[in-house]
Amino acid sequence: MNRLPATPTQKIDHDRRIRFVFAGRQLEGLKADTVASALWAAGVRTWSRSFEYHRPRGLYDLEGEGASGLVSIDGVPNRSAGTTLLERGMTIAAQNVSGSPDRDVYGALDRFDRWMPAGFYYRLFHRPYRAWPFFQDRMRALAGLGRLDVDARHDPGVRTEWYMNADVAVVGGGAAGMSAALAAAEHVDRVCLFEARPWLGGHLDWRVREVGGRPLRERAIELARQVAGHSSIRVLTHAPVTGVWGENLVTGFQVGPRGDGGATEGYDERHWECRAHTIVVATGALERPLVFEANDRPGVMQVDTAWRLARHYGVRPGEQIVFSTADDLALEAAADLADLGVQIVAVADARPEGLDGELAARLRDLGVELMPGSAAAAVGGRRGVTGVEIAPLEGGQARSFPCDVVVAAAGRQPEIGVLSSAGAGFEYSAHAAAFVPKSLPDGVFPAGRVLGLTDVEAIEASGVVAGLNAATACGALARSGSGDGESRDADERALGSAIRDAEGRLAGLPGPAAGSGHVRGPMTGKGRKAFLDYDEDGTWKNAAQCVEQGFDVPELAKRFGNFGLGPGQYRVPGQNLAMAMAELTGRPVGDIQCTTVRPPLIPPSLATLVGPGHDVHKRTPLHEDQTARGAIFRQAGAWKRARYFSDDFSCREEIRNVRENVGLLDSSPLGKFRVFGPDALRALQRVYISNMTAVGEGRCKYAAMCNDTGNIIDDGVVTRVGRDDFYFTTSSNRAGGTVEWFRYHTRYDGWDYNLVNLTDNLASINIAGPNARAVLSRVTDSDLSGGAFPYMGYREIQVGDSIPARCLRLGFVGELSYELHFLASYAQHVWDLLMDAGAEFGIGPFGLEAQNCMRAEKGHIIIGTESEQRVTLLDIGMGWMWDRSDTESRKVGAPALRACADQTDRLKLVGLRLDDTAGRKSPEGPADGALVTAREEILGYVCTTRYSESLGWRYALALVRDGRAERGTSVELFQDLGDGPRRFAAMVVPPHFYDPDGARLRG
Amino acid sequence: MFEILRPGFLKLDRLWEERPMKRHYDVVIIGGGIHGLATAYYLAKNHGVEDIAVLEKNYIGFGGSGRNTAIVRANQRTRENVRLYDEGLKLWPDLTDELDFNLMFFNCGNLNLAHSEAALSSFRLSINTANFCGVKSELLDRESCKELIPALDVSDRPRLPILGGMYHPPGGVLRHDAVVWGLAKGASAHGASIQQGVGVSAIDTDAGHVTGVQTNKGPITCNKLAIMAGGYGAAVCAMLDIELPIHPLTIQAMVTQPLKPFLNHVISSGGYHIYANQTLKGEIACGAHMDPQVNYTTDATAWYFKHQAEAMVELLPCLERVRFLRIWAGLADMTPDMAPILEGNLEFDGLYLDCGWGYFGFKSGPVTGKYMAEYIAREERPDILGPFTLDRFLRNRYMGETATTMKYGHYD
Repeated sequence: MNRLPATPTQKIDHDRRIRFVFAGRQLEGLKADTVASALWAAGVRTWSRSFEYHRPRGLYDLEGEGASGLVSIDGVPNRSAGTTLLERGMTIAAQNVSGSPDRDVYGALDRFDRWMPAGFYYRLFHRPYRAWPFFQDRMRALAGLGRLDVDARHDPGVRTEWYMNADVAVVGGGAAGMSAALAAAEHVDRVCLFEARPWLGGHLDWRVREVGGRPLRERAIELARQVAGHSSIRVLTHAPVTGVWGENLVTGFQVGPRGDGGATEGYDERHWECRAHTIVVATGALERPLVFEANDRPGVMQVDTAWRLARHYGVRPGEQIVFSTADDLALEAAADLADLGVQIVAVADARPEGLDGELAARLRDLGVELMPGSAAAAVGGRRGVTGVEIAPLEGGQARSFPCDVVVAAAGRQPEIGVLSSAGAGFEYSAHAAAFVPKSLPDGVFPAGRVLGLTDVEAIEASGVVAGLNAATACGALARSGSGDGESRDADERALGSAIRDAEGRLAGLPGPAAGSGHVRGPMTGKGRKAFLDYDEDGTWKNAAQCVEQGFDVPELAKRFGNFGLGPGQYRVPGQNLAMAMAELTGRPVGDIQCTTVRPPLIPPSLATLVGPGHDVHKRTPLHEDQTARGAIFRQAGAWKRARYFSDDFSCREEIRNVRENVGLLDSSPLGKFRVFGPDALRALQRVYISNMTAVGEGRCKYAAMCNDTGNIIDDGVVTRVGRDDFYFTTSSNRAGGTVEWFRYHTRYDGWDYNLVNLTDNLASINIAGPNARAVLSRVTDSDLSGGAFPYMGYREIQVGDSIPARCLRLGFVGELSYELHFLASYAQHVWDLLMDAGAEFGIGPFGLEAQNCMRAEKGHIIIGTESEQRVTLLDIGMGWMWDRSDTESRKVGAPALRACADQTDRLKLVGLRLDDTAGRKSPEGPADGALVTAREEILGYVCTTRYSESLGWRYALALVRDGRAERGTSVELFQDLGDGPRRFAAMVVPPHFYDPDGARLRG
Repeated sequence: MFEILRPGFLKLDRLWEERPMKRHYDVVIIGGGIHGLATAYYLAKNHGVEDIAVLEKNYIGFGGSGRNTAIVRANQRTRENVRLYDEGLKLWPDLTDELDFNLMFFNCGNLNLAHSEAALSSFRLSINTANFCGVKSELLDRESCKELIPALDVSDRPRLPILGGMYHPPGGVLRHDAVVWGLAKGASAHGASIQQGVGVSAIDTDAGHVTGVQTNKGPITCNKLAIMAGGYGAAVCAMLDIELPIHPLTIQAMVTQPLKPFLNHVISSGGYHIYANQTLKGEIACGAHMDPQVNYTTDATAWYFKHQAEAMVELLPCLERVRFLRIWAGLADMTPDMAPILEGNLEFDGLYLDCGWGYFGFKSGPVTGKYMAEYIAREERPDILGPFTLDRFLRNRYMGETATTMKYGHYD
């Protein structure tokens, strides 16, 4: 194993070996390895094949920045090797591979790049058009990275959620973030610090360079200790931020801690959201890739990758390493690696001057050749790196160095993801050669390397400034002190002077170091295999081809040439795309906008977003009873409702029992309201289209509401309980919106009335059928006789010994029926009383579908089924409800009804009787949704149609253009559900099929 | 024939010309999206009107044209709509050919899922209407849904179990950007001028006639002006104090990491407010949710991101461990009846309006452009656009594209 001796910076445990499998080979890693460090230590170089050319890819970064480092683990595709901790027994597979990672069937595609210029597929494969499906299928087959087994279920483990509030949220647990958290926590109580890595410390964590006589990592440890010990700071490590959304909502997820045996402690992964007053963004910097030929070869890696392999995981990055980099941090890395005994052959630095003198001297002392003003032009080797060509950037002879690893970077770019998703704007700083924040949204304060800072003391100082500013902006002063003016003044002075001190200190420290403005090394060719975007194989040459075709700004090139749309998103190619466009078009970089950063900044799994799941629906108080009776439920609006009580979905038995005997329906979701007060009647007059003054005490009135366009939106019954006290019902779906509807339509009137939604407080049971009275009279002493309690009557009765109930005598299903409304907690008791009392009659439950069939037979409409946006109250034959004489109430919908009252050629509700030509009592026929047609014309459609046992024929309620609405007219029904056209003859009849005179209701 | 064997056989010339902006055009089109570019293309190609400028405030395809999920279909609810979308659907192959640009039409068919008896009834109406008009569509039971898309969970486990589906074989998906670029290529080749980075700040009129526009690059005069600004159409009309029954809402979409193909059709579900398909690159693209507040922002929201994951996992549980890569948002200009406003008979002569598409703007783009071009050139409303007048709202003659009237904003 390629491991270095143990040092204090390492995270791994040399004594705890973990076995895993890669591509069928048994391998070993160490505890606390990531999949990436374990694979590299085990000598595995090719982990995947690239998207388009199927080039070998592997370790490039340890931060999960792109597709190269994605592998499949235990059948789960696209997992980031660099950030996933190695676990015992993992089976790891390479992605986008046919055959083996080293011998990929499609590897030959790499040679055909000249036939695949940017956007080639838009210009190919469609001539002739009939050839396209062939090519399309081939292209599709090659697409994608990871393979998903659609039948496999992967236990997502325990997924939880955490919603928190913060005065100050700090994103990034490096020196700047920790300093900001500590500074803010002196003034506010709730600081949340989010760090993507499993530990705090940022880039100081592994640096042993001494500043002020102390290794930097000790400073990181000191800061982490203070942060952890501060009672006002909550720290979440291993918690990447996915985005900053509106109103400073910071979201992310957190990977759960693992116990010693690898078992989860508490949760596997949790989704978190933090609503913060202010945010400090200290996300640091990313490496900016250097573009040169074959810069994607396994063995070409970022500075921090090589450095952290050695410092965090004790892995020797390579036997012979050449650097081609452009900042002092890289020089420090090279010197540090050399100190650890890693052979550094040479260090090329794109900067011709301005290199840190001390580090340069150290490197020379270590025998490392330092080449300022030079960079890599190409690497050699087919599957891995065998050497690199280094040449001066200003022209000159290239030199070859044999090596197995090339550490390459064009510089650093601020990690702008979080800032950008918060709404910040950026501008190009030619000095730092980086896009730095220009405009900031309110309440967002950047700190550290995201500002382009490079000096460690300045990074820390900027954190203090940002933390203090964030505390101030979230109202620290308003809340500190107990309101006493003098102490508040003192606090204000103290905070003010702290900010001045911190700003003063920051001003005295070095600003951003000069960066290298180069994107590419001194390549000689067109950059055929010099990658700007590794994820989707976007080369320098492709970028040039984009410009040639008119796609000369990053946003267009991104879409046309696929730059920055792969798994690495904005990170790769990041700022390089803007710099490349500038170079290729000869414009200054400052004139070019970077592409928009889109969340999530780190991709979360769907299971983590789902969390424990939220199956939100309402159950009636009789849900369990209905379940026990074999009910089949359907979601109906917010409710789960019993639709059938057997697998005979025609509900023959349920219907027969109600028609001939008696049945019970749990109608609890019915909207139930009390409206009372001096202006209650006026409010009712406004929203109901009917004349509500005519509602008598102890009487129910069937009434409807319309919307502004005259559509019926609700129906129900209204009853007058007292002089200014009304009780009314609405359809179940409408119940939620009713209170708001009343308020909205009376908002300017200042009326004095109260509206109480009793829907969930009261249960409702409908007892219907010829024996309904007989059954009900056994559970109440009230007089239910037709004379004492007529149809459309309302009584308050007592059920059982002591349960008060509102009783409404209605007839939605067309039979003698009563609706009982009473406190929901009594529901089961009342249901049982009725079932017991009805046992000798053979009482049984019925569901929504049986109700639906019976009400349709009766010609009672359901809103949204027999009505739609093209029909008004008048069109469905309910115009009789509308009190046309009343203009004073300004009834909602009345103007629209008036406007189209005389229009012709509208859809009208009609009844249809379907002929049974064969004379059989066959229930065969069209279904809901059949068309009403006349030759080539569509006249309307069938809303509801059923075969009725009671009638002995099939009926339909249909909306038909009014010319055909005449009674006795013959029409044709058309149905073709993909099984061939069928036509049915029908005749227009009045839409009241069953008991048209209502004798059964009144009985 | 053997040209393809030679490297560099593809001419990588500019797709559309960068022409200097003139001060006067015969026709000015506001909006460089699919509708504007298609109208310019057909005006130039079919009607010989070449003196056209398409003004785009950002870059072409910046708005809805580049933010939609590129799903096309023709199984609408009413015959008037079926007719238009059916012709639109049949146009893609021809257009690919004419423009000599591969629009990547993937004719995979759409499966819309029903989770209630009511949804099945409404599917039957759409299917019957489609088949009556000669557009293929069929009703599937839940087992057939599973057969078509093995990854679907058709068990009773989901909150809203799948009861069946409406399968529409002629539908599919395209590459939306390719449509924008291809139309730009075609329009430019026929002489139209595409002006990017030109935003309109005012519309000039004189004696009841539009005369031109004020832009950030100076004034432009024109004989005819077409407003085809997608989600921003109502805002542009407001410059002329024309008030439209349009509510712009933010609509969001997202993609997962790329996966090997397993979802070979477009699926959608009204119950879960979702549609999803797998792109040619392998990402699962999904979306459909609209934020209820009327607004012009294109910010994505955290709660929807989460909600969408819940819905996706309910329908396609195999996606549980897959990760979302990118979310974005666009605008949908919603009318109360989910049908557009295509109007040339307004209080200003020479003014044409193409807006109110909601989330149907992509699939209708080229076909609408074709007929709007005819409308503008001949100054006579083509028969197929007959129903899409503005005054239908005044006459209470809604199109019936949805069963319920759509209401937006703070009350239901």
